[in-house]
Amino acid sequence: MSAASALSVSGVSSGYGEAVIVRDVSLAMESGEILALLGKNGMGKSTLLKTIMGFLPVRSGGSIRVFGDTVSGLPPYRVARRAIAYTPQEQALFQDLTVEENLRLGLRDDRTFDAGLARVTKAFAFVGERLAQRAGTLSGGEQKMLLVARALMAAPKLMLIDEITEGLQPSVIERLAGVLRAQRDEFGTAILLVEQNVRFALSVADSFALIKSGEIVDRGRVGDAGAEASIGTHLSV
Amino acid sequence: MIATLLDIVTSAAILYAVAAGLLIVFGVMKIINFAHGGFLTIGGYSALAVTKLGWNPWASLVFATGIGFVAGMIIERLVVKPLYSRPLDAILATWGLGIIIGQLITIAFGREVQFVQSPMSGAIEFAGASYSSYRLVLVLAATVIGVGIAALLQKTRLGLVTRAVIMNEDLARGLGINSGLVRFFTFSLGAALASLAGALITPLSSVDPNMGVPWLVNAFMLVLVSGVSFMSLLVATVVFGGAQVLVSTYVSPVLGGLTIVVAAAVLMRVRPQGFSRE
Repeated sequence: MSAASALSVSGVSSGYGEAVIVRDVSLAMESGEILALLGKNGMGKSTLLKTIMGFLPVRSGGSIRVFGDTVSGLPPYRVARRAIAYTPQEQALFQDLTVEENLRLGLRDDRTFDAGLARVTKAFAFVGERLAQRAGTLSGGEQKMLLVARALMAAPKLMLIDEITEGLQPSVIERLAGVLRAQRDEFGTAILLVEQNVRFALSVADSFALIKSGEIVDRGRVGDAGAEASIGTHLSV
Repeated sequence: MIATLLDIVTSAAILYAVAAGLLIVFGVMKIINFAHGGFLTIGGYSALAVTKLGWNPWASLVFATGIGFVAGMIIERLVVKPLYSRPLDAILATWGLGIIIGQLITIAFGREVQFVQSPMSGAIEFAGASYSSYRLVLVLAATVIGVGIAALLQKTRLGLVTRAVIMNEDLARGLGINSGLVRFFTFSLGAALASLAGALITPLSSVDPNMGVPWLVNAFMLVLVSGVSFMSLLVATVVFGGAQVLVSTYVSPVLGGLTIVVAAAVLMRVRPQGFSRE
């Protein structure tokens, strides 16, 4: 794990109250890398993202660094200001705010709105056409696209995306995959993708990590010999 | 008839001015600030101080707003912020704070009822009726407060992040919003609005160390039936303020004083969301 890693998680444990959900997790990813964090329900994927964002404290002496700076112990808003875009799995949009207001909240500086909007409308044209519409009235797929659009507004260097494909139809999933690949290729953004949709995750990711009972049990490059077999073994019912 | 109508409008305006600060604190911090009556009393005594200093009575509005804002800043940092993670304790702390403010004012100004100089006196003809010019000014003041809050919330970046914190604080924090700073500003603004309201209403009555208590009770009930919506608050103040005026005028002033509390309790029983749409 080099100091220049986009994200470096070292010996991190965390959880809720007395329950330890994430156990001694270490992983690193570089700029321009998409890492798929795979695992069944309740294995600690979302908990790990919340820990990285500072919503849950790191236990037992572990540390989290973003582009070399230690962020463990910082409140979420200060972690987010390190050019990180976080899209949680649930209640991720402000339903009663308009599309424009949701997009503005993805920015630190309102003066960059026009530039950000121009960038995201290349990926999601509907966003620019429906700025005044309440986010809660968009379809499920459009809401997910708005989530990604908001994440892209501030040109993040690191994205943490939690179960973005849940409940989406294949055409929307393919579109999101294209946008994430383009973000990696054009801007060198590192993307940590928490997914249960293995096919989608492996179609966009460069590497993968398997999490089971809060521990990383396998880590490798997508396409490596034995990767699919390992994933299949760990994710089989 | 016209006078009664004007009474309803001005009562609603005064209630709105008093309850607006309580509502914005409730929206962002999810606590009822029981020191709100204390801040209102601070505003009343700020107006009294202006009278005693011989300043222009209009200066009391600016003076009270400033004193309220500074008092809110200090109290948020010293008392409320350490209790963020214990909202019930925070509510109890604001209750105690209201008592402390009343006692400090008693020590400084005495227990007796006192009067401030009104910024304007006399009556003007309005739609064929003679009506207190200062009460009409209150309508204007409440309108300015309402429009100001709406503009702040709807047209500024600060308003946008405040609404985001009201709707989903964790999500807002994950987007880089310092919700602690939003809470700090909001509490201070709520205190300033209460203090301004106190300065606005004192020329109509008097000041005493407990003057904020009845206003706090009414404002509390209005906030309960308004959810976190200023539009609902406006409706609530017009409906309940109107009912209060009608009961006071045609039935009994004593019962009029209870009208808002009783009506709010009945409304919450039959429609738990009150005037809120949700």
